[in-house]
Amino acid sequence: MIKKIFKYTFIISFTLITILPILWLISTSFKNPVDIFAIPPIFVPLKPYLTFDHYSTLFGEMGFMKYIINSIIISTSTTFVSLIIGTLAAYSLARFKLPHNLNEHLSFWVLSTRMFPPIVTIIPLFAMMQFFHLVNTKVSLVIAYTAFNLPFVVWMMRGFFIEIPKELEEAAMVDGSTRMVALWKIILPIAKSGIIATAIFTLIMSWNEFLFALILTQTRASATLPIGVASRVTQYEILWGQMSAAGVITITPVLIFAFLVQKYLVRGMSFGAVKG
Amino acid sequence: MQVGNISKWSEKNLKYLLIVPTVFLLVALTIYPLIYAVIASLHVINIRTGENVFVGFQNFIEIFKDQYFWNAFKNTIVFTGVGVTIEFTLGLILALFLSSKIVGRNIFRSLLLSPMMLPPIVVAIIFKIIYIPEFGVINWFLGLFGIRGILWEASVHTALPSLILVDIWEWTPFMFLILLAGLQSLPLDPYEAAVVDGASGFQIFRYITFPLLKPVIVIALLLRIMDTLRIFDQIFIMTGGGPANATETLSLYIYRHGFRFYNIGYATAMSFLLLIFTVIISNFFIRFLKTEKVFE
Repeated sequence: MIKKIFKYTFIISFTLITILPILWLISTSFKNPVDIFAIPPIFVPLKPYLTFDHYSTLFGEMGFMKYIINSIIISTSTTFVSLIIGTLAAYSLARFKLPHNLNEHLSFWVLSTRMFPPIVTIIPLFAMMQFFHLVNTKVSLVIAYTAFNLPFVVWMMRGFFIEIPKELEEAAMVDGSTRMVALWKIILPIAKSGIIATAIFTLIMSWNEFLFALILTQTRASATLPIGVASRVTQYEILWGQMSAAGVITITPVLIFAFLVQKYLVRGMSFGAVKG
Repeated sequence: MQVGNISKWSEKNLKYLLIVPTVFLLVALTIYPLIYAVIASLHVINIRTGENVFVGFQNFIEIFKDQYFWNAFKNTIVFTGVGVTIEFTLGLILALFLSSKIVGRNIFRSLLLSPMMLPPIVVAIIFKIIYIPEFGVINWFLGLFGIRGILWEASVHTALPSLILVDIWEWTPFMFLILLAGLQSLPLDPYEAAVVDGASGFQIFRYITFPLLKPVIVIALLLRIMDTLRIFDQIFIMTGGGPANATETLSLYIYRHGFRFYNIGYATAMSFLLLIFTVIISNFFIRFLKTEKVFE
């Protein structure tokens, strides 16, 4: 009995610690500046304290809308490109026997690129982007993020393809269709839920990314939402309400998407190392 | 005829053609930076002044004499060691509790997982709001119990622990998630046998769960350690490495040299060391994992 009470107390308090900070961010974003640091704290901003000012200011600001649009364009293009490139490679690694055990070596190499800390990659990448005059463009971030997400896409999709029996596309090929057609018409529809999960993870990762965006974009033309949020912190005066509202806007799609891929969370987070 | 030849050729070499784009991009992302890092680390390069001189190993010699580098190195080790240990312990307890029969298990699980999907930047601002010493909600709460005056990330003494706490908040769910998945995939027979033999709960954990779970534990630790060694975003927003470099980790120090002072050679030399360090630690874990597999 005591054991049970301890167990529930632990779980419930940990859950509260987990969600209260997020709720506090949301609550702060709806408070007037004077009430944000009221003592005792106002937990739920009801009528006299409730305001939508921070949101209307943000959405009225050209700059902030630009961040949102940039983030949407960059993360969807990244997802699209890395999914196409990565899925093809994953299919090949899952299905064909390459000479010299190349399958295994390549798969492992792809996985090992995850060891590279971004700060190691970023300086050479910055030099490369400068050489091609791509700094401050959305293209530079799409390229960087695609390369960054590829190992993940390849590894996820490889796992999904291995689970699909070979006989399916072999049957189609006996009936005269080429391998690519068989892949398109038979395998991809079966792997659909896996593809969607992979896409959502890629979307979230590109949406959340900060370091590459910080270094490869210095103007509003290509800066993303995390940069927009961060820029409200490093100013002389921190606009707490606006900052919170910007934070809430940034996390809303992430939380929705994360909820959709819950089933695949383990596989995604651990790069397929643990089957979830 | 020509077209037929091309399509025949591409059908035959399809397995390579499909991989080429990925290999190309990953070479650009890993091999090229590696070569660049090796070359640049042997030069003094300043993109502001246009300076570019070969200096041999001078950068590395200077790094080893650089007290800020050692400070950043120490902070990175402390951050990783303390953070990952606590995340692992809490994650394991949660996973063990939630793998047993619990009312509302799915709700708890969903709620517990939210922090790790959030952008680190937003996590940083959440805690910036909460941590404010005079008016922050945590100090108000602690004040109810008579604890006052904690300065959190504003003081040299509490800054690093405060940031580690943020990391624990964000990433314990990750440990929990992987360990829970591991627990749920364990075979049931050993447990039934143990119960028949009258083993205690702790004995079951020590002699059955832990050994079976070991590969999953190693993977969870490996992934977290690799990610914590490179920590940047949260610290950049919350303290920028301050106060008095108390929270400066290697990634931040490299950033400072590379993109504040434009000392590209020095920064790449350090990033090269960080990479080697990461690879050594990862290999230690990977080797462990491989030997584990042999015994299975």
